[in-house]
Amino acid sequence: MPTPSDIPPPLVRYPAEVRAAYQTFRNSRDEAALRVVIFAAVRDFMPRNSAHSRTDSLRDDERLIEDLGFDSLAVAETVFFFEDLFKVTIKNEDILVLHTVGELCDFVARRLRETSPAA
Amino acid sequence: MNAAPLAARRPVVTGLGFITPIGNDRAVVSAALREGRHGLAPVEFLGNPALPVKLAGTVKEFDVSSTSCRDWTWPARYDIPRETLRGLAPHGVFALCAVEQALADAGLASTDVANIPDTGLFCASAGSARQLHHNLAQMDAARGERGNPMGVVSSICGTLNFNLGAHFHITGAVCGFVSACASSSHALGYACDEIRLGRLRRVIVVGAEEHNAETILPFAAMRALSAQSDPALASCPFDAARNGFVGAGGAVALIIEAADLAQERGAPILAEVAGWGQSADGYSMAMSHPEGAGLRLAMQRALADACVAPAEIDYVNAHATSTPVGDRAEAQALRAVFTDVGARPRVSSTKGLTGHPLSMAGAMEAAFCTLALAESFIPGNAHLRTPDPVCDGLDLPRETLSVAPSLVLNNSSGFGGSNVCHALRRWAE
Repeated sequence: MPTPSDIPPPLVRYPAEVRAAYQTFRNSRDEAALRVVIFAAVRDFMPRNSAHSRTDSLRDDERLIEDLGFDSLAVAETVFFFEDLFKVTIKNEDILVLHTVGELCDFVARRLRETSPAA
Repeated sequence: MNAAPLAARRPVVTGLGFITPIGNDRAVVSAALREGRHGLAPVEFLGNPALPVKLAGTVKEFDVSSTSCRDWTWPARYDIPRETLRGLAPHGVFALCAVEQALADAGLASTDVANIPDTGLFCASAGSARQLHHNLAQMDAARGERGNPMGVVSSICGTLNFNLGAHFHITGAVCGFVSACASSSHALGYACDEIRLGRLRRVIVVGAEEHNAETILPFAAMRALSAQSDPALASCPFDAARNGFVGAGGAVALIIEAADLAQERGAPILAEVAGWGQSADGYSMAMSHPEGAGLRLAMQRALADACVAPAEIDYVNAHATSTPVGDRAEAQALRAVFTDVGARPRVSSTKGLTGHPLSMAGAMEAAFCTLALAESFIPGNAHLRTPDPVCDGLDLPRETLSVAPSLVLNNSSGFGGSNVCHALRRWAE
């Protein structure tokens, strides 16, 4: 398990299994572990008035805005969370084509593959 | 447009909300004012015990000290959804809670003000220097390549109106006021004008500030803060030994309504805002006019607007913050308006108890005046031992008096020499 000093600030309030998944991804680049982190963040940024149940698991084909109730600022906020966590920069034009949870996962994974393993 | 006769459009106060150093609801605040219970607490800014700032008027029950809204805590009786929290500054949390409280006090549900074209929201705060600093440092560290998308709306001056206007779905008018320590007094004054003009029938007025290092400590560089660690010696307006103000934070909200609207819905009317006046010193960007010329004119204009003579005023809630220069100027202004014409209202500064919450001061003290009118008391001058001789002729009670005032004034002065005075009257149909 990670020690408190290993936990990056954006994940401090996330459940232990999410922080563990982050460590696993950092160590092995395991994209299944990355999905755990991304799904947890999407759920965290989901607005209260979302039609999506708080308890049901998210599906890849769910649309951030139409199905989960995100607005464009919430999408930007979620993307910034990944920028801050992984120290990457994500361009506006890349965000604009992300519509579903699955597309967001694939995009973040692809973006991180482009960065060095140390990032 | 409210086409009712002017008398029916008189602005009245129907609800108050307090998140203040001396209490987080009306009953506790009222008791603190009556009992002279201060809300100053020890602080250590930037982890540096050597700093000459030992006290602040702090808000209790909340923790908004983190730069991440995820870490903030507030009393469970207030409901703040994640999508609202994301855009708030720390003092926005205080403000949202104060507005919820004021609406409840006025017998209004949030649905009663949502999407109602004759309801407005006028706000005042200095913004969040702390969040702004944090967000810009984060942007600098990334060499401008990324930044918090909520960085602007959660920090700049105007953050209150952006967020509260959206959260409460205010559609009549949403506006912010920036005149430093007169800001929320301007907000209240212009709210009353909008109601008197018939443009709006209800305005939520809110002032709020943070009490962290980023908001308060820069005033130490101006040599404006008291270095005392004893509350009784630190915030002592009008005292000969006063040595600077004690910074404070929190939020206060007032619900201002046209009298006909309040009466139509059977709302309890706490006081009438009988008039207001403003002026400017035209003298210094930071210091008061040495003879209080601007504040004198603001008081005279408030009296004229309310159609009352100086002798009719029972109480003045002074702006006096406990600085040598500011209190002296206000004392001279008060003497010119009252003493020189043979009038002798009771005068006190409640900042002895609260410290000085900057932009929020005017709204907070207008709310205190409303309590004084509604609950029949006159707040005393906490911590006043030896009045400055410049106050000769002024009636400065030490203790709170069980006297029912009928007409009161509320003074505010801000940087740049902005002065505002409200005249409030005990409600009588």
